[in-house]
Amino acid sequence: MPQQLAIIVLVDVGNALASSTLEGNTYLFDNMKLHGSENQGTGELVTAINGSYWRDGSQASEQVLNWLPYSLGSIPPTVPRGYEVERARQTDEQALAELQELAAKSTVPSADAEAELNRIRRSVGTRVKTTRRTRGRMSGQKIVDVTGQVVTEDATAAASYPAPVITDIYGEAVESKIMYPAEYGSPDMVTDGWYWSATVDTSRPGTYSYMMRVQLHKLVQTNGELRWDPVNLTCASALKITSEPRRNAFTKAGIGPLPIPSTARPGRGA
Amino acid sequence: MTTKPRREAAVKRPISITAVVDAVGALAAGNMHGHLYMYDTNKSGGSTGFGTEELQTKARRGDQILWNCLALECEAYVAIDDIIIDRDVCEPVRKVYPGTDVAYWTGTVKKDAGPITYQIKFKLGTRDEPITTTLSSSLVG
Repeated sequence: MPQQLAIIVLVDVGNALASSTLEGNTYLFDNMKLHGSENQGTGELVTAINGSYWRDGSQASEQVLNWLPYSLGSIPPTVPRGYEVERARQTDEQALAELQELAAKSTVPSADAEAELNRIRRSVGTRVKTTRRTRGRMSGQKIVDVTGQVVTEDATAAASYPAPVITDIYGEAVESKIMYPAEYGSPDMVTDGWYWSATVDTSRPGTYSYMMRVQLHKLVQTNGELRWDPVNLTCASALKITSEPRRNAFTKAGIGPLPIPSTARPGRGA
Repeated sequence: MTTKPRREAAVKRPISITAVVDAVGALAAGNMHGHLYMYDTNKSGGSTGFGTEELQTKARRGDQILWNCLALECEAYVAIDDIIIDRDVCEPVRKVYPGTDVAYWTGTVKKDAGPITYQIKFKLGTRDEPITTTLSSSLVG
């Protein structure tokens, strides 16, 4: 069984939303550079998949691919899963403590108390409205900026975009039954528990394109309420399947003869 | 915990610079060359050099810059150890996302200047010594 491959889909969400396209705003990576993948870090990645075969020519094994969508310029995927919900809870607790303190020290309303209340109101941030569509993944969270601070509705221009979500993988490679993609759930901390994965039939060499349907989220304010509105865009990529045998990464030699230097063997006298 | 006062309604998004690091490649080679891909969020503002080691970020006086990094393999450890830049132009400091130990670097551009190059020191895997970039990215006024 070969190593599973990861394809990172890095999206400049802000720019993609502003220009309504993923083209020029998506950067793709895989970990097959040494195996011949081309155009790493651009929107034109061609993922190299080297088939492995038995000596009679039959396919030895399929290849497994995983896609990881990330947002450029948001809170990185290395913070714990559900970070926005955690921040919402922390700031609620802090505001409660501050309110208690304020209540304890002033019994009569005053300008000071009002200013203090305003300060607390700001530090408590703004919650996103939970709609039927966004219940679950983004429910109960507050608007958090790119440094992890909660923000109020007047400062949402600095909001950290939620990571892109792949909602479908289709196109030539799928239609011609080269790869079989599906969405899986897992306790993976990095990808929010859901990820797209595919097995690739490596027995038919060639270059095959495929499309990804990607959902971004735009922060909109309607009737004084904030919510993340989904925006669906697509982007293309390609797989290049070759029938070259796998190579030894240390010697660059194939899997045939062992790379023994061709010096004379002892006892032969040459 | 700081929050911007209401009068600063036109809050500007910081310019985020993300370094995508092929940690395995960099550790094998002992340098960052060819194993680093730099991006920022100011493409519409005129930044160039995306996906290379020589990102040119368009940034003016008053702009807040935020650096973070991403490992190409999600299991690999990658962190920014330092950013070497003219302190008269920008003074990056290391901060963490509240309640976590995930770090980012941030600084404000103090003055408009010509292209100011900077180098990043990366901590990779279990290697003690940080690896410094050979080619430089820059802030372009």
